[in-house]
Amino acid sequence: MLKCIIGMLTVFKHLFKKPVTLEYPEKKKDVSEHFRGKPVVKNCARCYCCIKVCPTGAISMTKEEFKIDLKKCIFCGNCAYYCPKGAIKMSSEYELASQDKNDLELVYRLEGVNDR
Amino acid sequence: MSKLKLNLGPQHPSTHGVLRLILELDGERIISCEPDVGYLHRGMEKMAEKLSYIQYLPTVDRIDYLAGFFYSELLCRTVENALGVKLSDRVKAIRVMMLELNRIASHLLWIGAFLMDLGAVSPFFYAFREREQILQYFEKVTGQRMMNNYFVFGGVRRDVFDLDDIENFLDILPEKIEDYNKIITENPIFRKRTEGKGVLKIPAALNGGITGVNLRASGMSLDFRLRDSLYSGFDFRPVVLEEGDSFARYKARILELEESAKIVRQALNYLKKGGDLEQDLINPLTLKLPEGEFQSEIEAPRGLASCYIKSDGGKAPYRLKWRTGSYYSVNLLRKLLVGEYLNDAIAIAGSLDIILPEVDK
Repeated sequence: MLKCIIGMLTVFKHLFKKPVTLEYPEKKKDVSEHFRGKPVVKNCARCYCCIKVCPTGAISMTKEEFKIDLKKCIFCGNCAYYCPKGAIKMSSEYELASQDKNDLELVYRLEGVNDR
Repeated sequence: MSKLKLNLGPQHPSTHGVLRLILELDGERIISCEPDVGYLHRGMEKMAEKLSYIQYLPTVDRIDYLAGFFYSELLCRTVENALGVKLSDRVKAIRVMMLELNRIASHLLWIGAFLMDLGAVSPFFYAFREREQILQYFEKVTGQRMMNNYFVFGGVRRDVFDLDDIENFLDILPEKIEDYNKIITENPIFRKRTEGKGVLKIPAALNGGITGVNLRASGMSLDFRLRDSLYSGFDFRPVVLEEGDSFARYKARILELEESAKIVRQALNYLKKGGDLEQDLINPLTLKLPEGEFQSEIEAPRGLASCYIKSDGGKAPYRLKWRTGSYYSVNLLRKLLVGEYLNDAIAIAGSLDIILPEVDK
């Protein structure tokens, strides 16, 4: 009986503590610097390294376009880590849900290569 | 009295995934139990044969999503051993710290989930509150909370920073454990539901291939960390309890939290001295294992985990095999549940710390 009361007192102590939860849609947590969110591509040199290390085949390249299929992407960060030019960055954007499938196809224009 | 066949799961919330137990009942006594697994099969082993080693590395975190670091480490270790790569002391200390933090997080989640199985809700939130601090640190350093993909062949992705977070966590952990003891360990209802239930003896455990905390709670001191070269130089002793019932398995995990915290503290003190990573990363695009068979093992939170690779010299393994602890725990339910009451079935199954993705792979 006494042990039950000690346990209850321990639980009741938490009534007077600050809440540890966040009211999510209104308040959002800051993510860290290295957070792996939506991948962003800039200044790609087309070495195809990212395609070789991607586990799910989410990345594809045509002459003008660099495509990332977010439906396949598992946000492992392999492409960003092994890119020799540092062209792929994992941004801190994480709310990527959408009602339209086409929103999940990221298309980046490859302009730098054509200029050369 | 006629026998009753009862399906427990695969949609039961207390089965931690999709475990289906086909129970045969006589009144409320269980006469036989037949576990049915495979609902979460993702073909992790077959997948390895198609992907190169670096492509396969991020997916192994998903074998056991609560202790992903252990399977990353295992694949990295197997490849490193095959290629004869030596790790520097700082990389080793980082790996040990991450592994043990992961073990603490895994055990904390188990404590919460086990109590939830038994009908107590508050401990679940307390355990998650503490686990959150670890996951926050993982997110800071590795980039994600659970699918870390932090270890790479030959080292780690980046050096650790903000070590004060870990220090703060280790400072508050003992008082939190004291709280758990007040709420859970000394609670008469909890003790009545777990003491003497699902008693596992050493011969039965060894026959069933049980390792890890479940075996140590039965009185056998078998900890693969002791013979692990990664853990050499760290001072700790395995937690061994005699009883082998559900309560002993709970108690062993609580005590292991403290033991793991001790290891983290030692790694932390080493890392705080600073220094370079000095790692010799393997180029993933040209990575090929020599022909032969390679095997390594590690003490994961749910028992011995091992990785076996047979290579034919190509970019991908010819065959890859995982040995995971939970698989053997599920099989043990066949014997452990017989003769117990139906009410205790979940309490016993929960105490073994079964994770279904690990079982089905």
